[in-house]
Amino acid sequence: MLKCALAICRKDLTLILSRNAGIMQALLLGLLLVFLFSLSLNTGDALSPQAAASMFWLATAFCQVLIFNMLYASEELCGARSGLLLLPAPVQSVWLGKSLAGLLLIMAAQCVFIPAVFVFLGQHLADGFLPALAGIVLGDLGMAVSGSLFGALAAGRSGRESLLSIILFPLLVPLLLAGVRLASLGIDPDPLPGDPLRWIGLAAAFDAVFTAAGLLLFPFVYTGDES
Amino acid sequence: MNRSGTAAAALAGGLAFALCQWLVFVYAPEERVMGQAQKIFYFHLPLAWWGLVSFGVACAAGILHLVKRLPRHAQLADAAVEVGMVFCTLTLATGSIWARHSWGVWWTWDPRLTTALILWFIYAGYLALRSMPMPRARRASLCSAVAVAGFADVPLVFLSARLWRSIHPNVFAAQGGGLETEMAVTAAACVLAFGLVWLPLLIIRYRQTGQQERLDDVMLARMADEDDPTEENED
Repeated sequence: MLKCALAICRKDLTLILSRNAGIMQALLLGLLLVFLFSLSLNTGDALSPQAAASMFWLATAFCQVLIFNMLYASEELCGARSGLLLLPAPVQSVWLGKSLAGLLLIMAAQCVFIPAVFVFLGQHLADGFLPALAGIVLGDLGMAVSGSLFGALAAGRSGRESLLSIILFPLLVPLLLAGVRLASLGIDPDPLPGDPLRWIGLAAAFDAVFTAAGLLLFPFVYTGDES
Repeated sequence: MNRSGTAAAALAGGLAFALCQWLVFVYAPEERVMGQAQKIFYFHLPLAWWGLVSFGVACAAGILHLVKRLPRHAQLADAAVEVGMVFCTLTLATGSIWARHSWGVWWTWDPRLTTALILWFIYAGYLALRSMPMPRARRASLCSAVAVAGFADVPLVFLSARLWRSIHPNVFAAQGGGLETEMAVTAAACVLAFGLVWLPLLIIRYRQTGQQERLDDVMLARMADEDDPTEENED
C-alpha cells in the first residue's frame, strides 16, 4: 500500500510541477489574499498577531482547496480514474498518495506565505515559534488528510471548487482555530495566556479523527460508478 | 412505526405542546432580570437538543447505509438532516434573540452558539451535495460519508470553541447558577414535547423521501416504456 501511495504521490507531483500552472494559481491566490488584507492597514500600522495568523491560515485553506481539486482533476480530465482503482493495492493508497502530495504542496506554498505575512502584515518572530511550528505541521497534516478525502468527493462535479469549500471549511474550524492560536504564539511578543499543549493536542486529535475517517470512508467516496 | 403509530405520536406531540404553553407562560415563574424574554429558553433548549439528536440519527443512518447499502438508511439520513436543519436554524434564531436581550448583541463567541452555527454550515453542505445531479446510489454514498465525518467533527468543534473562549473573562458564568424547580420541570416537559413533535416529523419526512424516490422510479420506467415502441417502429 505504501509503495503504491508513494508512486501516486510521485506521479502527481511530477504532473503538477511540470505543468506549473496549477500550483502557481494556488500560490498567487494565497499571496493576493495576504496582500489585499494588508491594504486595510494605514501606513506604518501592523496587524495584530492573531489577525495575521488568521490571514495565514485563510490563505492556506484556499490554497488547499485549489491543490486538492487539481490533484483529483488530473485523473478526471483524461478519464483515468479506473486506472487508479485497478492498482494492485487497497484503494486507500490513492487517498494516502494524494494526501502526501497535497501535504508537500501545501508546505511548499506556506514557504511563500510565511515571508509574505512578515513583510506585508508587519509581523516579527517571537519566542513561541516552536509551538507555532508544531501547529503548522499538525495543521498541514490535518488539511492534507481531510482535503484528500473530500477532494475525492468533489472530483468530477460541476462547481467542484465551491462544493469542496462549503463542505471542507466548516469541518476545518477546530484545526484552523488551533492553527491560528499556535501561529500567533510565534509572532506575538506578548501572547495571550493559555497552554499551547492543549491546542497541539486538539490539532493532533483532528488529524487522528480525519485520518481514521479517510481510511474508513475513502473506499465509499472514490469508486468507479461515477457520472 | 406504522401510520396509526405516527398519527398517535403526532397527536401526543400536539397535546404535549399545548400543555407546554401553559407550563411556560403560566406555571413557570418569570425570571427577575430577563423577564418574559427568558421564556425563549424553553424553546431554545429542546430545539438545540433535538437538532443534535437529528444529526446523530443522520450519522447512524449514514453508517448503516455505507455498511448495508440499503436505500432506506440513506432516506432516513436525508430526513434527519432536513429536520435537524430546521431545528438548528430555529436554535440559532432563538439563541440570537436571547443573546440580544441578555448580552446586548445578536451574536457572540459562545461555544454552544458557535457549535450550532458550525453544525448548520456542515449540514448545509450536506444538503448542497444532495442537490447535485448524480446517480442516486452515488449521491447516497457521498452524503452518508459527509454525515459521518460531520458528526465526528462535532466534539472537536465544541472543544475548540470552548478553548478559544476560555482565555477571555467568562462574562456569562452567572447563568449557570441553576434553575428553580418549576423552571426545571417546564424545561424537561418542553424537551419531551419537542421530542414528540420531532419524531413524527422525522418519520413523515422519511416516508415522503421514500415515496418521492418510488415516484421517480415509476416515471423513469414509464418514460422507458414510451421510448421502446418508437425504437421498434423506427427499426
